[in-house]
Amino acid sequence: MSTPVHGSGFPSSRRLRPRVARLVAVAGAAALTTLAGLATPLNPAPQQASAADGDKVLTVAVAQSVDSLSPFLASRLLSTSIHRLMYEYLTNYDPTNARTIPGLATKWQSSSDKLTWTYTIRSNSKWSDGQQATAEDAAWTFNTMMTDEGAATANGSFVANFEKVTAPSPTKLVIKLKKPQATMTALDVPIVPKHQWEKVGDLSKFNNDKSFPVVGNGPFILTDYKPDGYVRLKANKSFWRGAPKFDELLFRYYKDQDAAVAALRKGEVSFVAGSPSLTPAQAASLKNAENIHVNDAPGRRFYALATNPGAKAKNGQKFGDGDPSLLDERVRHALFMAVDRKAVIDKVFQGHAVEGQGYIPPRFPQYFWKPSPSQELTYDPAKAAQLLDQAGYRKNSSGKRLGKDGKPITYRVLCHATDPNDKAVGQYLTEWWSKLGIGVTLDCLDNVTDPWLAGNYDLAFDGWSVNPDPDFVLSIHTCAALPATPKDTGATDNFICDKQYDSLYARQLAEYDPAERATIVKQMESRLYDLGYMNVMAYPNAVEAYRTDQIKSIRTMPSAAGNIYGQDGYWSWWSAVPAASDGSSDDSGSTGIVIGGIVAAVVVVGAGVFFAMRRRATAEDRE
Amino acid sequence: MSSAGKIAAEALAEPAVRVRTPRARTTTAYVRYGAGKVGGAVVSLLAVLVTGFFLFRLIPGDPVKTMTGGRPVSAEQLAAYRREFGLDLPLWQQFTDYCGKALTGDLGTSYQFHAPVVDKIGEALPNTLLLTGTAFVLYTALGILLGTRAAWRHGRLGDRLNTGLALTLYSVPSFWLGLLLIIVFSVGIGPIPGLFPTGGMESGGEEGFAYVLDVAHHLILPVVTLVSVEYGQTLLVTRSALLDEMGSDYLTTARAKGLRDDLVRRRHAVPNALLPTVTLVFVNLGRTVAGVILVETVFSWPGLGGLFYQALSVPDLPLVQGLFLFFAAAVIIMNTLADLAYPLLDPRVGR
Amino acid sequence: MTTGIPAPATGAGPRRLAWQRRRRSAVRFWAEYRTHRAGLVGLAALTLFALVALTAPLTVGSDVAGATDAPGQPMESPSGEFPLGTDRFGRDLLGLLVWGSRVSLLVGLLAAVLSVAIGALVGVTAGHFKGWYATVLMRVTDWFLVMPTLVLAIALATVLSRSLGTVILAIGVTSWPTTARLVRAQTLAVESRPYIERAKALGGGHGHIMSRHVLPNVMPLVLAQATLMVSSAILAEATLAFLGLGDPTVVSWGGLLQEAREAGAVSSGDWWYLVPPGIAIAAVALAFTLCGRAVESVLNPRLGVDR
Repeated sequence: MSTPVHGSGFPSSRRLRPRVARLVAVAGAAALTTLAGLATPLNPAPQQASAADGDKVLTVAVAQSVDSLSPFLASRLLSTSIHRLMYEYLTNYDPTNARTIPGLATKWQSSSDKLTWTYTIRSNSKWSDGQQATAEDAAWTFNTMMTDEGAATANGSFVANFEKVTAPSPTKLVIKLKKPQATMTALDVPIVPKHQWEKVGDLSKFNNDKSFPVVGNGPFILTDYKPDGYVRLKANKSFWRGAPKFDELLFRYYKDQDAAVAALRKGEVSFVAGSPSLTPAQAASLKNAENIHVNDAPGRRFYALATNPGAKAKNGQKFGDGDPSLLDERVRHALFMAVDRKAVIDKVFQGHAVEGQGYIPPRFPQYFWKPSPSQELTYDPAKAAQLLDQAGYRKNSSGKRLGKDGKPITYRVLCHATDPNDKAVGQYLTEWWSKLGIGVTLDCLDNVTDPWLAGNYDLAFDGWSVNPDPDFVLSIHTCAALPATPKDTGATDNFICDKQYDSLYARQLAEYDPAERATIVKQMESRLYDLGYMNVMAYPNAVEAYRTDQIKSIRTMPSAAGNIYGQDGYWSWWSAVPAASDGSSDDSGSTGIVIGGIVAAVVVVGAGVFFAMRRRATAEDRE
Repeated sequence: MSSAGKIAAEALAEPAVRVRTPRARTTTAYVRYGAGKVGGAVVSLLAVLVTGFFLFRLIPGDPVKTMTGGRPVSAEQLAAYRREFGLDLPLWQQFTDYCGKALTGDLGTSYQFHAPVVDKIGEALPNTLLLTGTAFVLYTALGILLGTRAAWRHGRLGDRLNTGLALTLYSVPSFWLGLLLIIVFSVGIGPIPGLFPTGGMESGGEEGFAYVLDVAHHLILPVVTLVSVEYGQTLLVTRSALLDEMGSDYLTTARAKGLRDDLVRRRHAVPNALLPTVTLVFVNLGRTVAGVILVETVFSWPGLGGLFYQALSVPDLPLVQGLFLFFAAAVIIMNTLADLAYPLLDPRVGR
Repeated sequence: MTTGIPAPATGAGPRRLAWQRRRRSAVRFWAEYRTHRAGLVGLAALTLFALVALTAPLTVGSDVAGATDAPGQPMESPSGEFPLGTDRFGRDLLGLLVWGSRVSLLVGLLAAVLSVAIGALVGVTAGHFKGWYATVLMRVTDWFLVMPTLVLAIALATVLSRSLGTVILAIGVTSWPTTARLVRAQTLAVESRPYIERAKALGGGHGHIMSRHVLPNVMPLVLAQATLMVSSAILAEATLAFLGLGDPTVVSWGGLLQEAREAGAVSSGDWWYLVPPGIAIAAVALAFTLCGRAVESVLNPRLGVDR
């Protein structure tokens, strides 16, 4: 502690009186504690027992910040989920089997050349300000995205191929395409009310978060939003599919997942999903808790180890700096054979995941594929070492395998610093591969996008959520998805480009018979497996939890063993039924009393100490 | 928090030492002194502007590619984005543009929130100020109070306990203390029920007085954490300054004159000894804004710290730069104020 | 401080003389230090921690950090076999705590050394060379002093790759200005003494004066400063690791805390995962602070530090 050394002097004329400071301290502390004491009894957390108006509130803990509440700008999961609740889309997904079902459009048909699509818009959907939602609104939404670059920020890819969108009548929408487009029944674009939005000036700067309630026609109406505080929606009683059972839906911020789980335990929130899911320890402790249901559902994600196949662009230009040894299929296979997938499931996911096989998770049984015993890359470190020897990567005297350039091989593994699983699996990989004589550098970054797109990595932890229609996750491994030049960003995942895979992809795209298509898709998965560029280690479960004394029932998607948060559609929150009891409100009442008691005690003791000290001071003075 | 910064604050507690040169007691001298300080602050601010701009350009990552989230985007579209955010210009031009705009109060538009940086800071600032302001008042008052007391009872049990506790809490990582408080007082452990909210600033939906109470309820644990780890410093500085002062001749004189101990302390010793503390207080006031990153993270407080952390991971350059500038400016301004106030408080300085 | 010691009247050479003088002041220093009870406690604690860290390869061995052959099940609560339970890999937490002390202490020490070295260099040169060089240097120092240190350290750790070197650098580079300020003041004081004047007159160059006269005199101050700095460096290391900016592949106390949080130990009530590393951090930081305060008060008795 370095303190200025003062020479002796005289008292200055201006003084800060310590007594003032003391008074401030005591008064401040007392005020604060009193406030708190008063706060609690009056303020039971927003359990449905905000009983004053008897509203049933469904509170959901979230961590992700809203990037924008404008459907034209938002791309994060939370924001787009909220838009699902605020606005109807043309189509929706059946919660039981994820097939396309009517949304704002009741039916749709395409011309024989697949270039003209005609949608019939329902006439029983009203905006929350009383106006009718019509085809004109939809046409305006699409046209705006096509003409205004700012409005194309989030969903521009859907309309990039649109030639013309018109609304010949309030119930008829016609979209003309430049070339056939597979996503015409899955246009995940919120349709906004034209009469509200045409008044907005610059759409690239408008975040739709200034005046509430926001006019919409979805199952919920956005009524309030505070950045990183909460997002509040109230039920749309006149929603055409039927009013939600809860009166209010509140997304509350807990940046810390532990805080969210603790809030669930206390009944501050009704639902916690975690990002991406609850940890095994949290799930285990919540399972034993009263009135809490843990939904441990097969996930729609796969968790894979991607290999850099030598990044290149469509124009043939190579870029990035992937290790050349990885171009040898035997090396890739050897690496994966040294990965103990069972240990990953048991130790890292602690059972909350399924061991990886093919590319598409078993949650989609029609497309799920398993390697045949002969092609399966089972865990076998000895055989892995043999394969590496065969490939010509032999160990030197100090046990390190040498590359073709004579230097020891060390792979850089790209991992997400925010994902504990990446780091945990990375730790295992380091140990498993070091036994093979291969070094590992874990490159854990907050943001992996840049090295990823530049191809500056050897291996990387990878994962995608698979949609009911697997077209997208299959398309990202085709040559067509490569960037046009190294300067572009392509749709490709990790620069895989394989002729055989591509021809299979083209065949499944043209195949209209679902069973036949599924067979081709499985062949693609088989090819992908053999290539060894995408090695699926696990299918993590969606682990989420809710309070059964607040939510009586809630619909998962798919209905049998599905997830709740991040569904395609608004099913979970729309279908949630409040529990009749208000058991938890007693709890907070007593909590308030306890706090009140403690606060009173603190104040009394504090005052006692204060006066005692005063007494003593004077007593000393007398001495 | 500010664990890395505690030391710096201590050094800041002695800026006056350098300027203590006896001069004629004139207003002009003070004005000249003040102008020098303000000029220095302006230079520092400009330096911060420069650093903020160039330091964060070193973060690996193409902001445009990050902004588009890896979605397939053509080179032309990427170029269009670059143009929109002025990233296609040469670095020096970006810099001059940035400086020009910053001087007019425009810190650019956040990449991820599509909102002006000034607005984002404006949204989060009141929350941070509420948390740090409350904590600041409490730990300063507590530190001065206990520091004086400890110095006066120098060497006795009370002093030992006080100083020991302060040193111990001073060595505790704030985030760890926060987590423990959450476990014990929010989640509840054993017979202790969960008394306080686990995080956030408000439950939402409250209005009027109930809202104030609600926020106060959320405020307690983070404030307790901050006060616990921060008051020690003020206590120690006050205590050692007072001990220094107590050896002085004039106190002996005052006592010899027959003044009561209490009076000597209150009228003579404390006011003089408070000088270094006052400097520390000002410095703390500035640092306090940047110092809550950890506590805000642990308690999900929607303030500037969380915003900064979020912005760094993208990297959301305009937001990072804006916040960096803001944090540094807070310290610089408070430090300058302390420098300006010092001669007024201590007639020995800067006359 | 080494002023005012009468030279012994033996006919020894100046080198020997200086050596004797130093030894004597060291003895005196220890005699003074011994009277500071808190300082002794701190020293004892530090010795203990140092012993634990140095003998860790013998007591626990590097195998304790291996995830593949972890002996227990993930997140076991304390038992006879694992006195502090196990972590998310099933590794023994007591062993990890012991093993982690090496990294935490190492980073703390190196960062403090780096910081104090920069500070001393800047301070001595700025004090010795006056004029524009000193002005610029002190301007830079002042500027670093007002930077929000944690913010700057976070920024640095983000900019650079994640490794121990980065953490040491981030802490060292952001925390040196205090030392520079103090050392410069001391240098100015030393240089105003007559014997420096004499040395200059005898043809002593800048290097000679700084290394032979100034440095030995500021060394005690630097030592005290370094001791105090270790404490904040250890806290800073824990902070950066907790924010996920440390090296994820090494075991450190801050890293353990972060892992505990990531694994959800807070809400699951797995206190054994969370409490010991925090206590360890606080104890080491406290021990260094106590030692530093004792050293400081021995060197400068005017700072009325508790005895």
